[in-house]
Formats: sequence, C-alpha cells, structure tokens
Amino acid sequence: MPELLSFRAVDTYYGDLHVLKAVDYRIDSGEIVCLLGGNASGKSTTMKAIMGVVVPARGDILFEGSSLAGVSIAERVRRGIAPVLEARRLFPRMTVYENLEMGAYTRVRGPDFDEDMERVFTLFPRVQERLKQLAGTLSGGEQQMVAIGRALMARPKLLCMDEPSMGLSPAFVEQVFDIIQTINRQGTTIFMVEQNANMALSIAHRAYVLQTGQVVLNGPAAELRQNPMIREAYLGEMNVS
Amino acid sequence: MPNPETAEDQPRQMMGAPYTWMLRASPLQWVRPYWHKPLGLTTITAGALLFPIISRNDANIDSAANALAFAALALGLNIVVGFAGLLDLGYAAFFAIGAYTYGAFASFQIEPAWSPFWQPFEWLGLVAHMGDVVHFTVSFWLMLPFSAAVAALFGVLFGAPTLRLKGDYLAIVTLGFGEIVPIVARNTPSVTNGAMGLNGVAAPQLFGWSFGVNATPYYYVGVALVALLIFCSTRLKSSRVGRAWMAIREDEIAAAAMGINRVKFKLLAFAMGAAFAGATGTYFVAKLQTATPEMFMFPVSVMILVMIVFGGIGSVWGVVLGALILQILQSWFLEDLSQWLHVLGRLVHVDWLQRVELSSSIEMIFGVILVTMMLYRRQGLIPATRPVQALSMTEQTAHVGSGGSSHNFDRLRGLGTLDREADEPLLAVADMTVRFGGLVALRSVELTVPSHSVVAVIGPNGSGKSTLFNAVTGLVTPDAGQVRFAGESITRLPPHRVLDRGMARTFQNLRLFPGLTVLENVMIGRHARLSTGAFGALLRLPGTKREEEAAREHCLEILSVFGNRLLPRVDHVVSSLSYANRRRVEIARALASSPKLLLLDEPTAGMNPAETQELADQIKGLNQLGLTIVLIEHKLDVVVRLASKVIVLDHGEKIAEGTPDAVRRDEEVMRAYLGRSVAVA
Amino acid sequence: MTTGALYLQQIINGLSLGAMYALLALGFTLVYGILELINFAHFNVFMVSSFIAMWALELLGLSGQGVVLTGFALVGALAFAFVVTMVVAGCLGVAIERLALRPMRAVRGTAAMITTIGVSYILFNAILLTVGAESKNFPNPMPSVSWEIGGATLRLREVLIWCVALVLMAGLHLFVNRTRLGKAMRATAQDAEAARMMGIDVDRVIITAFFLGSALAGAAALIFGLYYNYTSFIIGYSAGLRAFTAAVLGGIGSVTGAMIGGVIIGLVEALGGQVFAVRWTDVIIFSILVLVLVFAPTGLLGRAAPTKS
Repeated sequence: MPELLSFRAVDTYYGDLHVLKAVDYRIDSGEIVCLLGGNASGKSTTMKAIMGVVVPARGDILFEGSSLAGVSIAERVRRGIAPVLEARRLFPRMTVYENLEMGAYTRVRGPDFDEDMERVFTLFPRVQERLKQLAGTLSGGEQQMVAIGRALMARPKLLCMDEPSMGLSPAFVEQVFDIIQTINRQGTTIFMVEQNANMALSIAHRAYVLQTGQVVLNGPAAELRQNPMIREAYLGEMNVS
Repeated sequence: MPNPETAEDQPRQMMGAPYTWMLRASPLQWVRPYWHKPLGLTTITAGALLFPIISRNDANIDSAANALAFAALALGLNIVVGFAGLLDLGYAAFFAIGAYTYGAFASFQIEPAWSPFWQPFEWLGLVAHMGDVVHFTVSFWLMLPFSAAVAALFGVLFGAPTLRLKGDYLAIVTLGFGEIVPIVARNTPSVTNGAMGLNGVAAPQLFGWSFGVNATPYYYVGVALVALLIFCSTRLKSSRVGRAWMAIREDEIAAAAMGINRVKFKLLAFAMGAAFAGATGTYFVAKLQTATPEMFMFPVSVMILVMIVFGGIGSVWGVVLGALILQILQSWFLEDLSQWLHVLGRLVHVDWLQRVELSSSIEMIFGVILVTMMLYRRQGLIPATRPVQALSMTEQTAHVGSGGSSHNFDRLRGLGTLDREADEPLLAVADMTVRFGGLVALRSVELTVPSHSVVAVIGPNGSGKSTLFNAVTGLVTPDAGQVRFAGESITRLPPHRVLDRGMARTFQNLRLFPGLTVLENVMIGRHARLSTGAFGALLRLPGTKREEEAAREHCLEILSVFGNRLLPRVDHVVSSLSYANRRRVEIARALASSPKLLLLDEPTAGMNPAETQELADQIKGLNQLGLTIVLIEHKLDVVVRLASKVIVLDHGEKIAEGTPDAVRRDEEVMRAYLGRSVAVA
Repeated sequence: MTTGALYLQQIINGLSLGAMYALLALGFTLVYGILELINFAHFNVFMVSSFIAMWALELLGLSGQGVVLTGFALVGALAFAFVVTMVVAGCLGVAIERLALRPMRAVRGTAAMITTIGVSYILFNAILLTVGAESKNFPNPMPSVSWEIGGATLRLREVLIWCVALVLMAGLHLFVNRTRLGKAMRATAQDAEAARMMGIDVDRVIITAFFLGSALAGAAALIFGLYYNYTSFIIGYSAGLRAFTAAVLGGIGSVTGAMIGGVIIGLVEALGGQVFAVRWTDVIIFSILVLVLVFAPTGLLGRAAPTKS
C-alpha cells in the first residue's frame, strides 16, 4: 500500500517545552493506525502538527509524498486531511446543518456536497433528524456523530481522530468504533489517538506508542496487544507482584 | 523497554556518592539575596538632593517637582496594574479625589456655619472661627495621609462591586469611574466650585514658614514622597502581599486554590494604588494651588499608563524612570526640540518645519510610545523580571539525586498531622452532583478517604475525575452534595478557605504561576500559613523578617523532597522548566501549605517510567510521614503501588470501589476501561 | 407640550440615538465575539469617521446648514456619504488590525487592550492636531420636513436614520447567517481553534469583523453628524462608552443583543435626560454598565464566556 502520511524526525516545542522528540510515523493508504500514550505524552500535539496548528521546529511531515511545511490548514484540508477533534468541539450555537457545512468549508459548493451529505445521513440517520437543531443541545453521542460527519464533509483521504470514545457511554463507544471501521472500508485512511487502548487495538491495523514525546514502540496491533508492557500500562492487566 | 524492576532501581543508582554532599549542605546556599545595590541608591539619592542646588533655575525645579508627582502616580498605578495585574483606566479619579480632599479644605470652599460642635476642633487647631463660619486650617502634613486614606476608601468602594469582573471588563468599568469623577466634580459646585475649579488653595507650611510659590520646597517634598512610595513598593513587592498580587496576576484560579483571598488582595491593591494617588493629589494641588475637573480627565489616566508601560510594567524603578523621562521630555525637551526644528526650517526654507509645535503634540507622542512599546518592547525600559542564569552543563547533568530516601523528609514539619485523630474519615464526599448546562459531569458520587491513606480515583478521560477535585476544593460549585473534611462541613466554601482548612491540590494541566520563579511559586503555596499583611510588609519588623526567613527555609526543605531536581533551579522562572519539573514544583507548592490532605491530579502525566517511579516513591514517602493523599492516575502500576483504595468513575458515576485487586476484577470496570473485546471475551 | 407629548418626543429622540448606539455597539461585539478583546480604538474610529463623513459631504459642495436637497439629489448625496464613510472607516479598522493588533494576538493578558488604547489615543490626537479643538458644523442637506404625532414632532431625518439603521442591521444579520464568510465568522466566534481546523482562514474572518465593525461605526458617525449637526474630536468617548454599555447590556458577542441594547441605551439617555438632569446622563448610563456587569454579566442575550483551560 502506498504511503499516505509520514513524520520524518519531527521535533516540536511549546514555549521552552520539548514536546515531540524526533518522532517518526508512517501511515499507509487504507490503514487504521492508532496512537497510544498517556496524557501529556504528545498525542494531541501530533494531531495538531498534522493539521498545521503546531509547526515542527525540525523534521518534516509528508502527505502523499510532498512536504506539508508551509502549507496552510485550509490547503491541508483541501488535500484531504480532516480532523475529528478531541471532545467533539462542535460550534454549539450553530445548527447541525451549519456545522456540517463548516466541515465542507474549503470546498466549492457543488453536487458532491449533497452526495457527501447523503453519505453522512446514511452513516448516521440520527443526524438527519436533527439538522435544524443547535449542536450544543445534542447529547454527547449525537455530537460525536455530527463531529465525525463534519469531518467527512471535507471528503478526506485521511481522517485524524482525537479520542473519539472520550465521554461516550460504552454502548455508544462500540457503535462509534463500528462506524470508524465502516468509514475505513469505504476507503478512508484513519489515524486515531485513543485512550481506550483495547478498543482501538481491536480495530486498528497498526499502532504507535508515545511516551514523553518519543515513539517507544510500534508494530501491528495484534502483536502489541500481546506485548506485556502494553498489557500492563494500557490494557489494565495489573500485575500485582 | 525498561522493565519495571530496573526502573525502580534507577534513582538509587543515579544518586551516586559524589553528590551526597548536596543533600547535606544547607538548602539556603541556593538563594541569592536580591536587594538593590547600595552604591546606585546613594548616587540616585545624592543626585536628587543636589539637583536644585546645581540647577538654580526655578522653572526647571518646578518641572522636576511636577515630574515627581507623576512618578508617584506611576508608582501607585504600578501596584494595581503591574503587581496585581488589574488594568485600571480611570486611575486619575483617585488623583482627583486626593486633590479635592485637600483642595476643598484648604481653599475655604467649604465654610459651614459656626456651632459649638466645632469647638473641640478649634482647640486642636484644625479649624478657625471666622465670623459666623468655620475655616478649615488643617495642616498639609496631616492632610497628606488623610487624603491617602480617603482615596483608599474610594478605591475600596469602586473596587468592591467590580473586582469579580474579568480583566477587560474591569478596565472599562474603571474607565467609566474615571469619567464619572470629573463629572461629579463639575456638578457639585458646593464642594468643588464646579468647572471654575478651586482657587487659592493654601500652600503648605513648615514650622510657620509658608512654601508660597517657590518651587524648591515642593521639589523636596516630591522627592520625599517618591522615595517613600518607592520604599513602600519594593517592600510590598517582596512580601507575602506582593506575592499574593503576583499570583493573582499570573493565574487567578491557581491563586485561589493556593489559599489567596482574591477579593481581599485585589481590594488591597486598589486601595493601596488609590492611596498613593490620593497623597499625590494633595501634593499636586498644594503645589498648583488650584484644582479643576480638567486636570483629572481620561488623558491623565492614559499618560500614567504610558509611563508605566514605557518604564516597565511591574518594575518599581522602571516606572519611576518612565515617568520622569516622559515628564521631562514634555516640559523641557520638546520646547527645545521645537526651537531647533524652527531653526532648521528657516535654514532649509521648509515652511511647515518652522511652525511645528511638538509640545502640543505630546499626547500624540504618548500614543505612539504606547503602541510602539507594546509592539516591540513590552517589558519596558527596565524589565520587572530578573534574567535567569542558565544552569551550567555540569549542574544540569549532575543533580539527578533522588529525594526518595526518608533522609530528606526528617525536616518536614507538620505534614499531614491532624489536630485530633478521629474515627471519622478525613474526607467524606456525599451525593456530589455537578452539571454543566445539560451535561451531568458528576452524578451522586460518594467518596470517603480514611486518615493517612492513599486513595486513587481512576476512570477514562472525561469521566469526571477532575470535576470531582474541582467540586471538593471549591473551584466548581456543586449542584448537590456535601463535603466533610476533618470533621467539619466545607461544602461551598471558596477555594482559599478550603486550602486554609488543610486541603491542597495540583492540576491536571498544570497551573503554575508561569512568570515567577520556582521559589516564588512554592512561597505562594505557603501563603495561607503566613500572616504578614500590608502594614507588616511595610514595617518589616523582626517578627515579619523571621516569618519570611522561616517560610523560605520551609519551602526549600519541601523542594528538597525532590532531591536536587529543583534545588539548583529555585531562581528559575517556572516556564523554563521541563514538564516533569513543573509537575514537581506544583506538588511542592501544594505541600508548602502544610496540608492534611493532598489531592494530586495525574502527577505523573508526561513523565517517563523512571521519573514516574521516582515520583511514586516520593509520594509513598510523603504518605508514610502521615500525609493523606487522593490521586487521579491513569498509570495503573502507580495506582497499584500507592493506593489502598481505588474509586472508579465512568460518565460521572462511581461504578466501583475497593482495593486495587478487587477493582481490577470488577466486570463493569473492565467494560468502562477495556471496552468490548474484553467484556465479550 | 403636554407631559405625554414630551415623553413621546423623547422616545422618538431615543430611538434615533439608539439606532446610532446599536450600529456602534455592533463593532464592539463583532470583535469581542472573536478575539475577546475590548477594542478601545473603536471609540475614535467612530470619531474619525464623523470627520470623514463631513468631508465626504463637503466634497459634494454641501457645508453647514445652507444647502438643502430634495428627491434624488438628497438620496444620492446621502448614499454617497454613507458609502464613502463606511468604506474608509472599514479600511481604517482593517489597517488598525493589521498594523497594531495582529502582532499582539499571541500575547496573553491585557497587552492587546492596552495597544487599542494607544491606537485610540493616536487617532484622537491626529484629529485634534490636524482639525483643531473647536467643533465643526456638520453639513445637513435634509429639508426640515416633519410630522406632528400626538403632540410630538417626527422629523424626516429621524425617519431616515431609522431606515438606514434597519437596512444595515438587516444586512448584517443576513451576512452573518446566510453567507459562507458570515457563517465562518460565527464559527470562529464560537470555537476559534475548531474553526481553524475546518480550514477557515481565521485571519480573514478577523479582518472582516474589523472591516464590518468599523464600517458600521462609520454609518453611526454619519448619523451622529446628521442628528446633532456638529462634530468634534471629543465625541468618541461618551458615544463609545454608551455603545459599549449597549453591547454589554445586550450580551457582548451577540449581534441581536447589540441591536436591542443600543435601542435601550438610546431610550435611557433620552428619557433619563427628561426625568433627571442631562448632566447626570453619563452617570446613569455608567451605572447601568456596572450593574449589568456585576449582576448579569451575560447581558440580555449573551452567553457565559466559554471556560478555557
């Protein structure tokens, strides 16, 4: 499979803080790759670096083989990278429809806009029912559907999801992960930061483990699930010695 | 991957023999004294005292005396804006209040009818019986502190309703006050003689000799006033009061969580700033012998603001310099410069150059200075923050000593000790419910924490763990529920009172005071256990000095909990520290308040396994000293190592409670934490 | 005049003032909604605009109260003045944003606000130094047509002021709710970071907010001139403070709130001057500001400020 996104020895800083330290990732077309790590390990910074909100101090990020250095956020979205932000981050006082419109902000409004809208409605029938409602009045689960729908409106090649399961009920988490798999099968590559490691590893093809800004482990998801360190640190199998 | 066993050994290995002397040496060795260099002070004093003798030009001395008045105002505004971070755009209002307080009494503007009521005042020499009316004859020297007090009172009156406001709203409200006071002055002619202004304000007298219109005595009074205010400013700045102000400026929420009564200290800053302006107003009106509403309009407030921005917001000597430079520019230099331009204009035959009057465009120049400084040099001429000396390479690499050994803890006094040991749990949270809009963040959560235990709160991100901490410590007002701590209800107490009772916390996203040093941060943590107020700070009696010394020593001892990770960096601004060190500083800051209960919100987030292990050891050590700890933690190995009880939150509800072992076998926990695959398997 | 007629007259006056304050308040609210910045420069953008409006009318040969136009000439002259004033004022706002405020965007605390004070001060003195301190006679080409309603006088210029204000506010409402850029503006105000991640050019949104806000201040300035028949370097402060109070009263950040707040403040000023003495009007309005801020900081239609961790 061709490489879609890669980090080449990326360093980022936040003020004096060295956040990402010579990080390498490679995500191929069609994959679901998940990024594991504790809070403050640099996961969200990774997402921000992909979108261009955080600019690497050193190293390069490549998308479809060309560098993203100096590429505006809008251009990144246009090239096919769309984010599902941590904690949904919908526009609370805009309607669901307007939120979806904002997802397609960088595109010229044409017939494919309606096509994509239909695709979102097929994936999330509930969203269609709530189109006129203000996004802030939806339940957490419904908001997550709109957030994913909003990202899909950009017709992305790569969907970057920051903690899609956060704050959702267990039943709903399963539903979201099913939908992520469906989206992936329809041809969208997925790069996902997730706390719920077990869940994430169960649908991912590969995974990276990030610790204090460094990749300490990576490999096929199935292998990582058997790794004792992962089992202890992220899968909650506490070895009380 | 380092396996856990070697990770546990790591700190001990790293604390090699060559560095043990570091632990034995007094922690005080790291602190440099920071008083001003006596030589500079002597030169400045001598220059200020000799100026009139050297100059001999009455107009120049008069300008210098005016400049001193503005230096005094700048010092006052610097307390409000620079120290406490409250943007006051109507500062001239307090200047006006001080001016009218003296002016109205000293100009026979107010002449109440004589009655026996005034008799005792006549005996005291404060009033005189003139025909059927009373003439006030209160001495200038008595009015100086009196006006300061009146202005301070107005500072409190204006401040009280508005200090809850966010910074930018506060600015506009103070702007309004600044507009209102001259309007009131104009519309209450009985006291202020309205738009005409007061006339014939009496000149000060000293031992029967009137200052009259001679500039020199006013100049010396101005020098004394500015010297006094510099003295007050520097003393306040380096005291408990100054630290509280800076904490509020840097992070209000964290300041409250560290025991600082925000309302009280903001009001104190307002009152103190107003008092400076009040005294200066009296000085100024006595010197000019008149007062009109126009003297105190918005442009004056802006001018003072420009002076402190120019000199360096928060820097005592900076704002004095800024004020003097801008005033002297206005009164001397611009005249000369205009003359030179006229000459130049004649020489090169450029018409407009011959007509330039720079002194009339002084306000324009102020505007340009303000914008230029904000864009290119926000720290001003003399920055308030001291530059940080970087650690040498050896220092950086050498001090990786561990604090884990009990050796360091011997010196920690009063940590976790309880006034009385009771059967009751130290902390009991009952039926806690918190809603944010429609979202239920916590639903009827119960939590008990036995004395001297470590309780861990776990759960996925967004499950309400931090909200629980916020609700317990008073940062969030719960919609329902009770909190009992050490036998008393603390439900709905404001955060600073909660800390005062003995509950200190850290924050998940770190809320240090970013512009302050490590030691300053930790000293602010000690705030609630110290008692120095504004007067104590100004007088700095031996008791106050002892308190400061003891607090400093105490804080350094607490920093030594982390071995030599922080001790070499006590004078470093915390924003220059590594993530792990910031976490340590936050814990040290909480410990400095001598808490009975410590709430740690993800203390090991962002730490590598070795650092995590080291911190876990240190937390364990603190607990062994008797400190009760509640900790939010994602790293389950840490939880297992430290906690005797685990609470599991999911979607704001407690889904399990028990020993770490029991909890990990709980099916619901597995579902919440581990999701489908395990639950199904 | 009977008391009833007096009050009716003051309501008519108040609505005109209210229209002006509402337009001015929109500038505060648009910028605050996005940047959470109180733009003190707005006070004097308004003041400068009143001179631009005056010069625009003088360009047409209209000066003082001497020339009266009717029909198409009147409509054309006013349309010209409104367009020129609004465009120039808008550009002034954009220039302020680009030169002075954009570099301050990443700086936390009150630094950006202090900068707007400096900019405001520069504008204030620029007019003072070039035009002088004496107030200027503002051209008024409108015929003195008026109607009697219940004993009160309704003049043509009041009707015109109301119409202009209504058209502008309706236009803004449509822009914000119907256009792509307008929606992007709302999105940015609600969650700037999320908006950036959607590919919205936040810089462009901010520039648009400054342009629109300043252009509306331009319209308000022309209305001020037509209403009071004078202008001076000093008019920015009291009008600005009232408009800011209107924005806060309506709920800062809320476009509809600014409109409603503006009308209320206009009525309060007119009726307050009737009930108390005019010289206390500032005190009354300022008290409203403090009371709203302290007891109902979200205003009539506002929302609680989003908590940012």
